[in-house]
Amino acid sequence: MIKLDKLNRREAVRYLGGAGIQLNYRMDRLMDECEKIVLSTAEPKFLYKEFDLPFDEIIKGKDIEGHLDGCEKAVIMCATLGNNIDKMIRINQISDMARAVVLDSFSSVAVEQVCCKVDELLAEKYQGYYMTFRFSPGYGDYPINMQMDYLRLLDAPRKIGLTTNDNFLLIPTKSVTAVLGLSKNPIERKKRGCAVCNMRDKCKFRRNGEHCGF
Amino acid sequence: MDFKSFLNSKEFIMLDGAMGTLIQKSGVSYDHVPETLNITHPELIASFHRAYADAGSDIVYANTFGANAYKLKDCGYSVEEIITAGIDNAKKAVDGTNTLVALDLGPIGQLLEPAGALTFDEAYEYYKQQIIAGKNADIIVFETQTDLFELKAAVLAAKENSDKPIIATMTFERNGRTFTGVLPACAALTLEGLGVDAIGVNCSLGPDELEPVVSEISRYTDLPIVIKANAGLPDPNSNEYDVFPADFAKSVEALLKYGVKIIGGCCGTTPEYISEIVNMLKDKKYQPQVKMIDTCVCSASTVVEINGPRIIGERINPTGKKLFKQALVDNNIDYILTQALSQVNGGAEILDVNVGHPEIDEKTMMVRVLKAIQGVCDAPLQIDSTKPDVLDAGLRHYNGKPIVNSVNGEEASLNNVLPLVKKYGASVVGLTLDEGGIPKTAEGRFEIAKRIVERAEAIGISRKDVYIDCLTLTVSAEQEACQETLKALHRVKTELGCKTVLGVSNISFGLPNRELVNRTFLTMAMEEGLDLPIINPNIESMTGAVRAYRVLSNIDKNSLEFINAYNDSTPAPVVKQTADVDIFTAVYNGLKSEGAAVTQKLLDDSTDPMVIVNEMLIPALDKVGEDFEKNKIFLPQLIQSANTAQECFDVIKNYLSKTSGEQVSKGKIILATVKGDIHDIGKNIVKVLLDNYGYTVVDLGRDVDPQLIVDTAVEQNIKMIGLSALMTTTLKSMEETIKLVRARKELQNPDGSSKCIVFVGGAVLTKEYAMKIGADYYCRDAKESVDTAKLVLG
Repeated sequence: MIKLDKLNRREAVRYLGGAGIQLNYRMDRLMDECEKIVLSTAEPKFLYKEFDLPFDEIIKGKDIEGHLDGCEKAVIMCATLGNNIDKMIRINQISDMARAVVLDSFSSVAVEQVCCKVDELLAEKYQGYYMTFRFSPGYGDYPINMQMDYLRLLDAPRKIGLTTNDNFLLIPTKSVTAVLGLSKNPIERKKRGCAVCNMRDKCKFRRNGEHCGF
Repeated sequence: MDFKSFLNSKEFIMLDGAMGTLIQKSGVSYDHVPETLNITHPELIASFHRAYADAGSDIVYANTFGANAYKLKDCGYSVEEIITAGIDNAKKAVDGTNTLVALDLGPIGQLLEPAGALTFDEAYEYYKQQIIAGKNADIIVFETQTDLFELKAAVLAAKENSDKPIIATMTFERNGRTFTGVLPACAALTLEGLGVDAIGVNCSLGPDELEPVVSEISRYTDLPIVIKANAGLPDPNSNEYDVFPADFAKSVEALLKYGVKIIGGCCGTTPEYISEIVNMLKDKKYQPQVKMIDTCVCSASTVVEINGPRIIGERINPTGKKLFKQALVDNNIDYILTQALSQVNGGAEILDVNVGHPEIDEKTMMVRVLKAIQGVCDAPLQIDSTKPDVLDAGLRHYNGKPIVNSVNGEEASLNNVLPLVKKYGASVVGLTLDEGGIPKTAEGRFEIAKRIVERAEAIGISRKDVYIDCLTLTVSAEQEACQETLKALHRVKTELGCKTVLGVSNISFGLPNRELVNRTFLTMAMEEGLDLPIINPNIESMTGAVRAYRVLSNIDKNSLEFINAYNDSTPAPVVKQTADVDIFTAVYNGLKSEGAAVTQKLLDDSTDPMVIVNEMLIPALDKVGEDFEKNKIFLPQLIQSANTAQECFDVIKNYLSKTSGEQVSKGKIILATVKGDIHDIGKNIVKVLLDNYGYTVVDLGRDVDPQLIVDTAVEQNIKMIGLSALMTTTLKSMEETIKLVRARKELQNPDGSSKCIVFVGGAVLTKEYAMKIGADYYCRDAKESVDTAKLVLG
């Protein structure tokens, strides 16, 4: 069980394109309210599963091979905030769009924080191992349709209600699938960085000379 | 086979245990889909069935749980091959015994709308294919279901394509709900209504943890209860379960008092568990439950028990409402959703939904509106139409147990409407009128009510599900009629034992101070036994009268609901709305009510509306846009400003429609998130901005069929289309949509060039890509969409 008790407001503001903006009182209040709503609506759930070399079931393309290079184990994981978050954002889109975009942004922050907690949990479980960062289907040449295989391998639809549609979009939408590599030997701690990112030509952070943080 | 007599032939019916656990233990390997073992290892699968039959199973589930077209896509076998083989294996295994074979069907594996993208009708087709393929089974089982809407599609597919008995079980989490938020009570009410033969729970939790769920189900249904629990919880590392056969049987025994009749095991259970339960049951008797609660309606997540006056909101109805009619014509579903949410906030517990209007296809609209409301609002709905085909479509696509509004004493109505109510397990409003019109006397109306109830009962609808409307007549026209209505209501309530419903507001037509007359009539009617007043819940005194009545007649115990409703209602401070702000300040700072107030004041001072729009509102919005681009303000502020401008526009629109009927729209624009994509928040932001800049947006929603976009453009003669897509995987739908727009003759100039301007946006798009797929404009954010609209439409 993962429970979040605080959300990273700076991240939420950044997602909204407000990095560097001085929030006024009303915006601060709105952010406060939305953080509370997201914290009370989110139902974080996650699953993970360990694989030993040669990782046949999850290798597809060069980038994932590079990512897991030198690793003896790989752990695939998925995490979701559940259906209620989607419904709550949907309702707010009708009653108050400004609030809805803030809620949406906090929800994205929340699912990332859930993933970080899973990272911590795994780090604890696999003491003595070095761990890569989370690499997700859709990064580099790692096909997005691997999300379907991940969910099947994790039995995610049945166990935590996480599914995809025909176009491999995760439903509920505030969800993540990823893989981490584990090695007894030190791994060059690469940043995710823009080099492997599919979004590098169109990313709004890059456009403004920033970085998404991953 | 007569399933009832099969059930009655024994005290308890034993199901089997897990299939997956045995497959896993056997160590056999398969590629992705365990159901392929039906064909590659038929003997192995048959041996599992035999083991269960030997252990005492009266019904074994064939190995067909995931055998649907979605999950079998790349496995090399068809649904028909896998299911036929699965049933064959089970039939052979139990040959010579009395054991029955069930076609076992789990969820499709994709989420249905509104959470997901799969439609109800698509889900129906998946199940239909499986049910036809499983024609050799003795019984149909749906299990591990988490979405009541999907399960409804499954049950209808079974009912309409076979005559086999149906067992339906859902999977609940520790919080007492399924993943999609379904309550056990809602499952019980809805599934019993649809005519399944037994209902219950399976998977997810052990038998101990299931007690609250089983007990809740048993309070809402008479049907035999099924349990098929997991052997406790799996260890995350070893995947071993932690409840062993003897303890499992003991825990099951503790649940027998809830009317449990049909028993098996789910994940982690084996033939040993089944033997142990059979042993435990030897000297036990079936203990049918006593259904505690008998008149309810529900959505998938909320039950409303009709145990005292409950408010039905009347506002979703175009009659006499110009804006509502326009919203229907424009397909402006958000307007209707706003009405739904504000009524629920006002205190409505059920919402009437009427979308009848001569200029639209009522049937399509009813389905669209019901689905949309159920996506954002938990209140049960009352489907209101005079047309049986509209009621049929609405009932089919409603998630839960709704009310039908209405049937009346006319032969045609009784014959057309009641069978629908029965088929879909709804409640129904019965109007006390017939071929002879509305009887003047209470006696006449009571007689019609009696006839409606008799006819309903004759086809198996309980009188508890018939809500009689004794009809409110206008007191200014027929003053004596009011007393007749109340007399009839009293008799229906006491002599027929039916619940009653009344549209209240009719009473006061033509009188001054209508609210006072309405409220007084409402109070009198409640005293005579009115259960379901249909009112405008946003009129505080009406809703308040119902709440107070519930306290005074000892229904609202300890005044809990009343206190909840009013506790924090410190009177709102009187805002001086004509404040010193000007329109610019109001819009720039997103001060909605101030913006509206100052606009009204300007109009009252006879400022030209177009001056307000062009010289005050638009410049303010432009400044906001400019600051947004310069990163001085961020997205939520941009939207708040736009919303404030909208409030100002609304005041002006209202004023103009009163004075001249003139429209201030700057042109129509279609917006849609393309087929396959369900991330629509970006599109919705664009919509808010375009709306607020004075454009009329025809919002087609998300996951939109390209054909619908093109057809709408032709029908409504729309020259500008905005498309959004979030994912690389859905960009191809965007390309296809643009191709279809370009290909349509009616959208071309005589020289073959396109009349339509297409602008596109979405996180993964670039300008180059947008041009490559044939768009006219690429807009990187909502602000650029507005700039583009200005450029194109002015």
